[in-house]
Amino acid sequence: MRYGPILGAGALFSLACSWAALVMAPQLQLGALAPAPIPNSSDVHPALRPGLAAQGAEVYRSLGCYQCHTRQVRQKRLLFGARLNAVGSNANTVSLELPGSGKTNLVNLDLLIALAKARPDLGIAKVTVPPPLLADTNVVAALGQFTANLALLQHADDKAGIVRPTSGPTVNDVAGRRPAEILVKVGPEAAERAVKLLTDSGAKAELVIYNLGPDIERGWGARRSVARDFVNDTPVLLGSLRVGPDLASLGTRAPEKFAAPWKFAGTNTAAELEHRLLIHLYNPRLLAKDSTCPSATYLFDKQKPEVRYAGEPLVVSKELPPVFPKHNARALVAYLLTQRNDVSLPEAPTPAVAAAPAGSNAPAKP
Amino acid sequence: MTTAQPSSQTACAAAPSVAEVEASCRLPVLFLAFSGAAWLCAGAVLALLASIQLYQPTFMEGCPWVTYGRLRPAAVNALAYGFALQTSFALALWLIARLGRVELAAPLGLTIAAKFWNIAVTVGVFGILAGDATGFDLLEFPLYAALPIFASYACLAAWALVTLHQRTERELYVSLWFVVAALLWFPWILSTAQGLLLGWQVPGVVQAIVAGWFGNNLLQIVLTSFALAVLFYFVPKTVNRPLANPGLARAGFWLLLLLGGWGGLAQLAAVPAWIPAVSGAANVLVIVPVLALLVSLWQTADGKIAEAWKDNATFRFLLVAAILLLGVTLRTAVFGGHWTQFTFFATARTDIVLLGVFGLAALGALHHIVPRLTTGDDELPSSGLADVAFWAALLGVLFVGIGFSLAGFAQAGVNADAGKAFLKDGVVGIAGQLKLVTVGYGALALAALAFLANFGLAVRRCCAACCGGAR
Repeated sequence: MRYGPILGAGALFSLACSWAALVMAPQLQLGALAPAPIPNSSDVHPALRPGLAAQGAEVYRSLGCYQCHTRQVRQKRLLFGARLNAVGSNANTVSLELPGSGKTNLVNLDLLIALAKARPDLGIAKVTVPPPLLADTNVVAALGQFTANLALLQHADDKAGIVRPTSGPTVNDVAGRRPAEILVKVGPEAAERAVKLLTDSGAKAELVIYNLGPDIERGWGARRSVARDFVNDTPVLLGSLRVGPDLASLGTRAPEKFAAPWKFAGTNTAAELEHRLLIHLYNPRLLAKDSTCPSATYLFDKQKPEVRYAGEPLVVSKELPPVFPKHNARALVAYLLTQRNDVSLPEAPTPAVAAAPAGSNAPAKP
Repeated sequence: MTTAQPSSQTACAAAPSVAEVEASCRLPVLFLAFSGAAWLCAGAVLALLASIQLYQPTFMEGCPWVTYGRLRPAAVNALAYGFALQTSFALALWLIARLGRVELAAPLGLTIAAKFWNIAVTVGVFGILAGDATGFDLLEFPLYAALPIFASYACLAAWALVTLHQRTERELYVSLWFVVAALLWFPWILSTAQGLLLGWQVPGVVQAIVAGWFGNNLLQIVLTSFALAVLFYFVPKTVNRPLANPGLARAGFWLLLLLGGWGGLAQLAAVPAWIPAVSGAANVLVIVPVLALLVSLWQTADGKIAEAWKDNATFRFLLVAAILLLGVTLRTAVFGGHWTQFTFFATARTDIVLLGVFGLAALGALHHIVPRLTTGDDELPSSGLADVAFWAALLGVLFVGIGFSLAGFAQAGVNADAGKAFLKDGVVGIAGQLKLVTVGYGALALAALAFLANFGLAVRRCCAACCGGAR
């Protein structure tokens, strides 16, 4: 090769390829990403950080917390389930209590058949009706229909080679308690089929999701972190090393999921968590004996500072004198408390039971 | 020398002599080499102090300037910009001058630009320690250091390319392909990354993607290219044979440029899934060019490796650097994906490329270049110190690489299993491996000191030869 410019042009072309693929394309895909509205509220996720927390982000960057902590929850799998919320009623619903007894014991006979179809591993018991009810023509008709359906089910079972257990729990038991988890951690097709069977029988059922993976099992988040969680962050400190636990949902983490588990003493959980995090900053080893996190004692004053809003002194332990958190300590804790990923997003849903409380950046009730 | 210059007969009649070429190189190359080695020592010490804090959190606590979160980026950036890039300029200038048979353009200007580079790196390291780090891996220098870095680089590279343009040996040897590609590649990735991260500020995770793209290009293309340039210059020279199979080297060169820039993002989690997938595939594909290049070198040296190892200090460094290049490419291809995400495994890759592949190749080259430019010999005055530098650097790189890799594997096991206690198994449990890393950084600092001492001896002997009579 004799010509430098050819070399330069070839290098430029190679670099342009990787630039187009790994800089330009992600920017085109993610550049216009906006916060998503939180269902049933006027708020969006991620919310803009209040001033103190925004200053805390700068402290987080400046002290290099991101060198040891990630803010990305990973998820291995997304599985589904079917949940029965209410039995509902239709023409084939009968009450097994005598009229005038003051009690109701509604049995949705169609639901029993639907449950049996959704759960081939459970037996189905015959419905016995108190004799006085047999005079009711509606009940007789419903029972007749049920018996016919049972025969059809038996036929289908035989065809599919399903042998139902004759003892143990039956679908009749399952239908008796609500909400009942009909299917747990199955594929989307099975779960959707079960939900359709149940809703067709008049019952109220819903599809539930299960976010699975070691991070989520550890209680580090309700779902995986996605690009949308970071649209307000600059610089975006995702972190690439976990010498400390992930912080993506620190603000909403359950107290028993910390390295040094504890229990909320009162109802003001936000204040307790803030207190806990301040102590962690002052000396992590006061909470978790083995922690290797460096203590940030320089964020605290030993003496009451000569400023108007010194804030409450921090009682770190019984033996040690109280200290006064500086502004940067409070800001950093405020930033940490805004870390949450419990909000359901279209691309990363969270289980419905863990729905986020509408409102501010305040941590959710555990 | 003739073996590494395949077509010396085409050289222009006005070509300067070797002595003239070396005289023009003396000031800037020696300055860059000395500063680079000094930064290697300083960076290794900073990294050593940081690594102690990983298992001894009370070490140096209570002062924000030396907390781990600042010391570690300061160390990595000192090693990347102070040592690796700076030394690579010394190598690039030397290779362009020698292979192009041309005197350096503006040696004084190059030295002044190099001085400014050092000032900028110093300011950047202190900026990180003061808490002004930008928060992006390998780009932590704050803007007030990043801009002077870019400016001094522009001067250095411009004069280097002017020198290349004036070369009397028109044929470009393989080493110069790598040098030219790396010299052009670096300003493009640096300006793109600084522009998008510190200037325009792309939104959200795109920042992390851009930073990862920059870091990978710096390691995989720029520094690896400089290491390969050194390998392709010194291996044929040492074994005194022409480069075997230049076609393979050419294919390897272009494939490395095409594929190398696509890796580095395999370990991002909160991004669209196609990005880590594409990067992971590139990490595997890049084995092909690396193998092609190394096979070409191996064919050149085949049969003479043992002899060269015994006789030549430079060759020892280069052989280990070549093996490490193969090793780091394979380990990233096999384990560099989701499983080792968020562990020290990726840290190990940065350190092996910076200090092992590039660092050892550069130290080896400097063991030849520095004596050429001072005493005029082919070897540094003290072979004992050269041995110390080699073995200390080798053990240092191995300890750092193996220590971080093993720690990464242990962490990966904990990350993958929620039943394991994170703090006990994943943090406290890797103290043993991290102690190995501390020893490794200590050995690297020692290697840098041994080289600097040898450097000092050579300069002293050179000065004594020049002005000894006057005293």
